[in-house]
Amino acid sequence: MATEASSGFEVLELRRPPLWWRLRSRTMAGAFLAPTIVLLLAIAGFPLAYNLFNSFRHLVLTEPGTERFVALQNYVTLVTSGQFQQPFVHTFLFTVVSVAIEFALGLGMALIMHHQFRGRGLVRAAILVPWAVPTVVSGMLWKNFFDPSSGFIDWAGAAIHLPTANLAWLNGVWTSWAVILVADAWKNTPFLALILLAGLQVIPDDLYEQGRIDGAGVLRRFWYVTMPLLKPAILVALIFRTLSSFLIFDVIYVITGGGPGNATETLSYLNWQAFLVDTDFGYGGAISVALIIVAVIIALIYMRVLRVET
Amino acid sequence: MQRRRLWPAAVVAGALLLTACGASSSTPSSGPVTIVFATQGLGSEGSATKQAIQEFEKANPNIKVSILTLSPTENNAYQQITQRFIAGSSTPDVATLDVIWPATFAKSGWIMPLDRFHPDLSNFFQGQITAGTYNGKTYAMPWFINAEGIYYRTDLIPSAPTSPQQLVTDAQQVMAKDSSIKYGLAFEGAKYEGVVTAFINFLGGFGGSLNLKDIDSSANVQALDYMRSLIYQDHVSPPAVTSWQESNVQDAYLSGQAAFAMNWPYIFQLAEASGSAVKGKTGWIPFPSSMGSPQAALGGDELAINAHSQHPEQAWKLIQFLTSDKVQIQRALAAGDPPAVKSAYTSQLYDQAPYYKQEKAVFEYATSRPVTPLYPQISQVLQTELNAALTNQTTAQAALAAAQQQITSILNGHGG
Repeated sequence: MATEASSGFEVLELRRPPLWWRLRSRTMAGAFLAPTIVLLLAIAGFPLAYNLFNSFRHLVLTEPGTERFVALQNYVTLVTSGQFQQPFVHTFLFTVVSVAIEFALGLGMALIMHHQFRGRGLVRAAILVPWAVPTVVSGMLWKNFFDPSSGFIDWAGAAIHLPTANLAWLNGVWTSWAVILVADAWKNTPFLALILLAGLQVIPDDLYEQGRIDGAGVLRRFWYVTMPLLKPAILVALIFRTLSSFLIFDVIYVITGGGPGNATETLSYLNWQAFLVDTDFGYGGAISVALIIVAVIIALIYMRVLRVET
Repeated sequence: MQRRRLWPAAVVAGALLLTACGASSSTPSSGPVTIVFATQGLGSEGSATKQAIQEFEKANPNIKVSILTLSPTENNAYQQITQRFIAGSSTPDVATLDVIWPATFAKSGWIMPLDRFHPDLSNFFQGQITAGTYNGKTYAMPWFINAEGIYYRTDLIPSAPTSPQQLVTDAQQVMAKDSSIKYGLAFEGAKYEGVVTAFINFLGGFGGSLNLKDIDSSANVQALDYMRSLIYQDHVSPPAVTSWQESNVQDAYLSGQAAFAMNWPYIFQLAEASGSAVKGKTGWIPFPSSMGSPQAALGGDELAINAHSQHPEQAWKLIQFLTSDKVQIQRALAAGDPPAVKSAYTSQLYDQAPYYKQEKAVFEYATSRPVTPLYPQISQVLQTELNAALTNQTTAQAALAAAQQQITSILNGHGG
């Protein structure tokens, strides 16, 4: 049935299938999709709904027999207890700073890796190593690096006569945040770089060529060619990083445990405490729902600000 | 990476072979029953438990024991056990519990009071009995004891200090004299459970106690002030202790860089091992008290029976077997797990491991953490406030006042 077209492509001429087949294929499509839908409902839909349900109940595992419906009480406690505000501010500031740092570094790395140079393949592979290390491991790693007696940071600082020699980083609020930011950036920047690199690679070279002919310098070409065309990749990268920064837990749990005092406690830390320390699945559920709402709002803001048609 | 304190790594291989003759013969019952024993332990620890169970089964032909091996990670083990109890399962019949769990389990109705078996409590250390008692009833029997004390270099400090102040003076003198000693006193001050047990030890030095109604007593404030001074005034503890856990303290001591170090008994075996930098130069005491009695924070394991067990009699038999002198001594010698039974501290034990003599002296002061089902929440508050005071974000007085306020509201919020 195939005919050779003049362009060299093979064109398939298909007969319109009969009605019975079309109806059946629709049913078939549904049947084929059903397992996926069931699976999605089971692993995503059910836990979300069950958590929402729990958030309206008093449900403390160590108090069997006291489960009951309490309507919005968990949410009222969340807002009025004052427990939410400080972790929220911590989480918000951390998200802004960490995403900004990681985006700047990631973009720089992507631009470098986009260029032709010897050993580029090796660099592209090597750069992913930190990302492949489990967060708990990289957290412990950086905690040890910053240890004043056994870590190399203070040792190196002393070697070049920085005032940070013998600094107990985790003894102070700002220095503790610095350690967390470094550990987080070390692990996550490669991920951003990878997504941005993929975005760079689909920008056609002729656009740069045209820009050059029109007399645009490097910066202008970057600003008027690269950036607009990189937008979809930037959107994906920022949404991913912002949401996972917003939910930060493991790095903090490993490095500071929320300390010194409660200076590095974030919303996810609060959530962990409610679920696993207090075994309060009602209050913990309410915190989770609040986190989901904020996460959705963040995603919507990004979609709007960057206005990308999908 | 981090050494587990609360679940002593019990390793026995073969030692329990000898215990068969020590077990009492069983009274005949209707027929063989199978009970499930949930406990932690992989590798040699697991095979040791298996060996003990085989001997138990030999002595009690009507009881079969199946071992449910729990995760070696304390939090995971906790989840594995509580999942079954929450579901109302009749197994495991016997479960190994960390010393801080019995109150929570008892209040939730998961484990049964053991008073019906008339246990002989006089042979155990008082602190560990307290940890297994809830509302006046005994819910858990001690299996192995652990308590936290102060290691010191006997070659640098000829006589152990007898007061907190003297400890500081000794530490300062050693640091001034010997440049290889970088730390006067190493202790764990990170925001985790360890900072609470460290606090309990220091409290004993000043006549304080972890009374949940009186957390900000003047003695307690004094003890916390002392801990802060160690770092910021006396300079005998490095500022890094505020992020140190036991493993960091262990490294500091075993590398020979600390004059004093607060830690658990397992260090003693490591210190006396061949090749150790502090071999033959190590002593261990409870944190010295200038008033009243010292305190040594209690750790260790307990054994309890599932409230829904169908075979409580048989379960109790197993507990009795595991807490018999002979089993305890052999396990201690092979694994370095300190016996919970006082009568096990005999020459038979000291001949092979003389340091158990010093360990027993510390265990006499073993002090339980507050026995309440709300302990996890209370500990979280204490961890935050103690660490805030140690990192100089607030004063001792303010930190303990804030802790008191939060603890009171936790106790009230859940009806005590």
